[in-house]
Amino acid sequence: MSLVEIKDLKVHYPIRSGFWNRVTDSVKAVDGITFNIEAGETYGLVGESGSGKSTTGKSVVGLEKVTSGSILYNGKDITKAENRRKLDYNRDVQMIFQDSLSSLNPRKRIEDIIAEPLRNFEHLSKDDEKLRVLQLLNIVGLDADALYKYPHQFSGGQRQRIGVARAVATNPKLIIADEPVSALDLSVQAQVLNFMKKIQREFGISYLFISHDLGVVRHMCNNIAIMNRGRLVEIGTREDIYNHPLHIYTKRLLAAIPETNVNQRAAHRASRLAVEKIYEDQQSKYYDEDGMAYPLVQVSPTHSVALPENIAKQLASQEGEVQA
Amino acid sequence: MAENFEKHSDISAADLARLNQEAQAEATPSTAKIIWNEFKADKPAMAALVIIVGFIAFVMIGALFINTPKMMETNIMDYFDKPFTADFWLGADSGGRSVAKQLIVGSRNSIGIAIGLTVISSTVGICWGLISGYFGGYIDWGMQRVYDFTMMLPMLMMIIVLVTIIPHYNAVSLTLIFSLFYWEGTSRLIRSRTLAETQKDYVAASKASGTSNWKIIFQGIMPNISSLIIIDTTLSFAENIGVETGLSYLGFGLPTQTPSLGTMIANANDPANITLYWWTWLPAALEIIILCLSISYVGQVLRRAADASQRQGAAD
Ligand SMILES: Nc1ncnc2c1ncn2[C@@H]1O[C@H](COP(=O)(O)OP(=O)(O)O)[C@@H](O)[C@H]1O
Ligand SMILES: [Mg+2]
Repeated sequence: MSLVEIKDLKVHYPIRSGFWNRVTDSVKAVDGITFNIEAGETYGLVGESGSGKSTTGKSVVGLEKVTSGSILYNGKDITKAENRRKLDYNRDVQMIFQDSLSSLNPRKRIEDIIAEPLRNFEHLSKDDEKLRVLQLLNIVGLDADALYKYPHQFSGGQRQRIGVARAVATNPKLIIADEPVSALDLSVQAQVLNFMKKIQREFGISYLFISHDLGVVRHMCNNIAIMNRGRLVEIGTREDIYNHPLHIYTKRLLAAIPETNVNQRAAHRASRLAVEKIYEDQQSKYYDEDGMAYPLVQVSPTHSVALPENIAKQLASQEGEVQA
Repeated sequence: MAENFEKHSDISAADLARLNQEAQAEATPSTAKIIWNEFKADKPAMAALVIIVGFIAFVMIGALFINTPKMMETNIMDYFDKPFTADFWLGADSGGRSVAKQLIVGSRNSIGIAIGLTVISSTVGICWGLISGYFGGYIDWGMQRVYDFTMMLPMLMMIIVLVTIIPHYNAVSLTLIFSLFYWEGTSRLIRSRTLAETQKDYVAASKASGTSNWKIIFQGIMPNISSLIIIDTTLSFAENIGVETGLSYLGFGLPTQTPSLGTMIANANDPANITLYWWTWLPAALEIIILCLSISYVGQVLRRAADASQRQGAAD
């Protein structure tokens, strides 16, 4: 059994209007997605901004009211608030947010911020709690001086470390990392990613790693799901996604990874434009008549793509993949 | 689990006291400290604070030593006595009653009403706005319809009607009647800021940390809108001194036998009083102007302290 099993998850936001506040339409932020996260792994969820990644992440943490579908954690459906309460669910599943400044309460001291989950779930004595906070600061590489300061006194990278310390405080099993480094400088990104990996090894944590950038995900994740307009368009191992991408949307994301080698800039640009052209011209092949992604079909034991069966098979054999 | 943290960090219980002390030395000052520094750095604001606190304390205590019914007795011999005499520091009015004593008791009544009204209406308005904005959905919708309904009522007319039909109204019932109407502006203001604040990730983080909604509202969100709350409360306090005064001036405030700043300023209704017997109304008018200015000045300093970024005092 997987640690988390997401089955046909849908989150639709109603659009209300008029004096009686009636539902007149809805935004389908997440529209039927299914995937599993194994214990100890880092699962990547990648897509453009607006594709519904954060909504998915928040649903898994229990912050979002789910429209339909289920999320099983150790076999229990945690889309029901009552099940979350019984399990002390958020003691086991925590979140790191993209915007480190807005995710730390500006009016609270660092001690109170990091101790918040401890106070709700562990009820330690005052000294034990302070000791735990100091240890957490140490683990994420901050000095004890930070204890009685406020978030605005720290840099972006330091704030993200504080966010990580809070998420790790109760020694959770799963952390949803929603674009944890997108707002940081390249040099700081690498630091933060490295100690996230270190913490993962030491505490045996699984990550659901959300990003819009396949370049960042490459170093973190074994399994990756590609999300587009609320649906998954491709699921596979790192090997599948980076070396045998099948869906045009995945290819487009791959082409968007910045090329660091100056000599190949021109070639990179040409290939990006070529992919963009196919994406524009072949909408009808890759999306159904409403412009939505098709249901996923399996092309290998690890690899699925959202295409009609025959096209998927054809593309897969072109890519030289072994059929399931 | 605690062992897990022991193992992967260099810190153990033995270091606790030392590290805590180091952190204390580096601590950012508390809000109360920052506010105090702010007042110390701004002398006029300090003066304004002293004026307000001193004056309110003076009239509250002073009024205890004055026998109001006796003071309000008409005494034809002292008709419009001049000010600055041994018996009448500020002269006497058309009834021969001491202006100075009326000013003390009247200030006590007017300020008491203003304080009561501010406390009740701001508390209701702040809670209403916070709850409505935080929960959203049907709760917000319902609370906003109640708000719309009370906004529709013609306030001044309703107050005048209520004052007329309640047989024995006094300062307390007047405060309560005003409170029915004065929470609205505050609640709307607080709600709109709460709506924005609730969207921020720190609220999501608190929910994910298992904190209850009420704690998030009052310990998480409220401190973040404290500068708005302070500005609004000080402004409404200054305004509320005017509310009672205005209504008493029109003759619908406190009963005539109860002196207030409004009834004293109403002396200026008579053209002869305005020029000839200026001491009957001028002290009350000056008092209101000075109080309102001081209050808004103090409010500014409080707000500056609450917005750490606008701080002037050298706190750190
Ligand atoms: N509270 C909300 N109400 C209405 N629409 C929302 C809300 N939150 C997100 N959305 C919409 O849902 C879609 C997915 O948003 P999000 O999950 O934040 O995407 P991502 O994290 O991939 O950028 C977007 O179109 C967004 O506008
Ligand atoms: Mg997002």
